[in-house]
Amino acid sequence: MKLQLKRIFVVMSFAIAFTSCSSDDSNSETTGKLVVEFDNVYKAANFAFNTEYTNSNGEKVKVTTAKYIVSNIVLTKTDGTTFVYPKNDSYFIVDESNSESTELVLNNIPVADYKSIKFGIGVDQARWQQGVEAQANFWAEAQATEMEWGWTAGYKYVNLEGTFTTPSNATAAQFQAHTGRSAENYNYTEIALNFHEGENALVRGNNNPQIHIMADLSHILDGTNKINLSEGASIHGGVKMSLMTQNLSNMFTVDHVHND
Amino acid sequence: MKMNSKNFFLLVAIGFLSIACNSDDDEYTDVPIVFEKPSNFPEVMYDLNGYPLSKAGVELGKKLFYDGRLSSDGIISCGFCHIQDDAFTHHGHTFSHGVGEGIGTRNAPPVQNMAFQNNFMWDGATDDLNALSLIPISSPIEMDGNLNTIVAMLNSDAQYKSMFARAFPNKPIDTEHMLKALGQFMVTMVSSNSKFDKYRRNETGGNLTAVELEGYQLFNQKCASCHATDLFTDNTFRNNGLQPNPQIDDKGRFNVTQSETDKYKFKVPSMRNIEKTKPYMHDGRLFTLEAVLDHYASQVVDMPTLDPLLKQNGSTGIPLTAAEKTKIIAFLKTLTDEDFLTNPKFSEN
Repeated sequence: MKLQLKRIFVVMSFAIAFTSCSSDDSNSETTGKLVVEFDNVYKAANFAFNTEYTNSNGEKVKVTTAKYIVSNIVLTKTDGTTFVYPKNDSYFIVDESNSESTELVLNNIPVADYKSIKFGIGVDQARWQQGVEAQANFWAEAQATEMEWGWTAGYKYVNLEGTFTTPSNATAAQFQAHTGRSAENYNYTEIALNFHEGENALVRGNNNPQIHIMADLSHILDGTNKINLSEGASIHGGVKMSLMTQNLSNMFTVDHVHND
Repeated sequence: MKMNSKNFFLLVAIGFLSIACNSDDDEYTDVPIVFEKPSNFPEVMYDLNGYPLSKAGVELGKKLFYDGRLSSDGIISCGFCHIQDDAFTHHGHTFSHGVGEGIGTRNAPPVQNMAFQNNFMWDGATDDLNALSLIPISSPIEMDGNLNTIVAMLNSDAQYKSMFARAFPNKPIDTEHMLKALGQFMVTMVSSNSKFDKYRRNETGGNLTAVELEGYQLFNQKCASCHATDLFTDNTFRNNGLQPNPQIDDKGRFNVTQSETDKYKFKVPSMRNIEKTKPYMHDGRLFTLEAVLDHYASQVVDMPTLDPLLKQNGSTGIPLTAAEKTKIIAFLKTLTDEDFLTNPKFSEN
């Protein structure tokens, strides 16, 4: 009997706690937090620096730098309406060497069920045209992470660097593969990803879902378009840069969504 | 003793003045600057509505322009390679040296009439005058500056704090506002009071000699299709037939666009203050105006991207007699603007 009373008490306190919690939720919390995680992989393996990966053209690469700019995040609700994350806060540098940077924390997301995400890689034309008003301080951030293209007052959108060998030359040579704006060719690209069926991101005041995105870095050089580093290991423009930019469209997949 | 007390009085007076000055700070009202386009100039390209000029903004920009602390060694300011006496070029330097042992590969271009241009640098690396300063500031061989370090320096300097507060009230001291101030200063750097300008505007002092007038006519016939308008540039990129220097192999506009058709093209430079901006060409390879005209007359090298205007009727170059060259040079010297070269508004204090 004594035991039962105790149990009832425990259950009741849970109930009270739960009630107060959910009433908070419905009355005051209209926004919540959402985390977008960029998890870099290389083909079927988790990505690691200085690890040899073999591309389909036989070239073996070891990567020392892997960074990219993620921008202009747009979330689509299950009812089809969208939430555009404020543009001024929507430029991020994802840097494999800094784990904190791989998790984008988005605040003040309206409470809703979200079914898809769209984001850009790089800096869009509209942002460029906003001038220093909008860009200057992001540029300082980019400089601090070596994502600036100083010579053109621009940015590296994707910065993949390391060494490579080819089947005919086993001596490791440096490579630099960068994408960015090239005069009127902005090279900005957008990625749209649906979450798995029935796996919506449920943003609530007390629920901060996490969207786990896999970024397969192999796509930069070894995607739909094959980039032979042996033909030129310093890519910062031209046709190869456009081909790399195209490759980015298949680089990202949603692995899963956490709703805790 | 008498002297001493006088000095003391002065000191006290100065003390009061500076106190008064400081308290003024809070109530400082900035004075907008109205940018007046010289009547013989083409339209302004800079967004004056988006980035309005003010007295405090321009003064701040000038201080930044001459501040070596924007570079990693504390010495190389913008003004180090852009010297007023030389129309803001680096007199006599084919290439300029930046911090450490760094030496550039291009001749420092003049900083003048920037508000009338929509692309900058020899290869048009940027189309944004405000962003332009990022290029030399961040270049490892020029100023090698770190923006976060610079912003920290600005935030810890009492004079900058006061100047930023005046130029941009209630705004942070950051990269954005530093660039805006530098932009404002550069916008005011207008050279438009040469003898030629006075001639064009029918002002006193604008009487060109017969030789200068003949030179102007020849220039219009032979040079003005590229060196167009009273700015003397059409803001395009062209290959003017200079044999590429194999040691540098600077491909110019190609570096920006990676387009084969842009190989070895460089921005058409203005002719203003040309007498003061030697050496000439993107790589400063020619030391005199005579050498420049000799190049156009007889040394133009044919290349796939050579400008078609330099290859007409099957021959390269621009036909020029010795007498014509002399007259053109006489005309070019009428573009020297002493007012611009000596105006204290642009001088290092």
